[in-house]
Amino acid sequence: MDSDQLRRLKAGDQALFAETVRLHHRALIALAVPIVGRSEAEEVVQNAWFKAHQAIDRFEGRANIRTWLSRIVINEAKMQLRQRGRELLFSDWQSGEDAGDALAERFNGSGSWQSPPVQWETDTPESLLMRQDLADCLEQLLDGMPINQRTVLELRDSSGFSFEDICNELTLSASNARVLLHRARSQLFQLVDHYEETGQC
Amino acid sequence: MLKCREIVSNADQLLDQEMSRRQRLGMKMHLLMCRHCRRYVRQFSVLLRAVPFMHSEASDAEVSQVMEHIHKHDTRES
Repeated sequence: MDSDQLRRLKAGDQALFAETVRLHHRALIALAVPIVGRSEAEEVVQNAWFKAHQAIDRFEGRANIRTWLSRIVINEAKMQLRQRGRELLFSDWQSGEDAGDALAERFNGSGSWQSPPVQWETDTPESLLMRQDLADCLEQLLDGMPINQRTVLELRDSSGFSFEDICNELTLSASNARVLLHRARSQLFQLVDHYEETGQC
Repeated sequence: MLKCREIVSNADQLLDQEMSRRQRLGMKMHLLMCRHCRRYVRQFSVLLRAVPFMHSEASDAEVSQVMEHIHKHDTRES
């Protein structure tokens, strides 16, 4: 978001606010689901948008707007949990199958590549996601990913949180967060590499 | 000398710029000599930059619902 867009948002440009909703809403839903569950995520994000709309004057533009919005969503989700008398227990988030490091089997016993990465057709983030069937494969993978891996991936790579903030928000050790993030990213890499080689998920 | 497996394990920290100068140097030495790892790090970097855009845009109906929710509450509070 450039400074002109930020100025317009602060001046109350509703069309631009609606466009901001369009761009970030689903990422924010994906962030809220692991915390409050699918059925309540929509309500949490709706309330977060309302608060963001009220507080847009206080957004200084130093952080990425998605990072700022994500913080509001997390606060809102935690408040919802408190109101329901529930707690955020990251250790319970072990749903989904954790297959370990998706790239582990691509090395031989001496630690060299046994099955090296293929050359991808695309070399920009935009062109990577231009192929709808690949985008669908990635979405499917994200939906089936263990919740704790998915949450760390969303916070770090989609919402732009620092490692320190992730550990604080989720009461998680830095080493644990790193392992979860590496496993999530490795699954994504493995999927894209396989897709580039075979044309399938 | 680092092994390819270690390059893959450490690529996260390299791209997150969370490595000491000494660790970076070790990675660079290996990357100079290993085209497979160079390819891995290059493509991995593209992938990470694509993550924020993996979520599709909200539909018109979702956007309208959010905007209506905002204006309904604004009216109540004003």
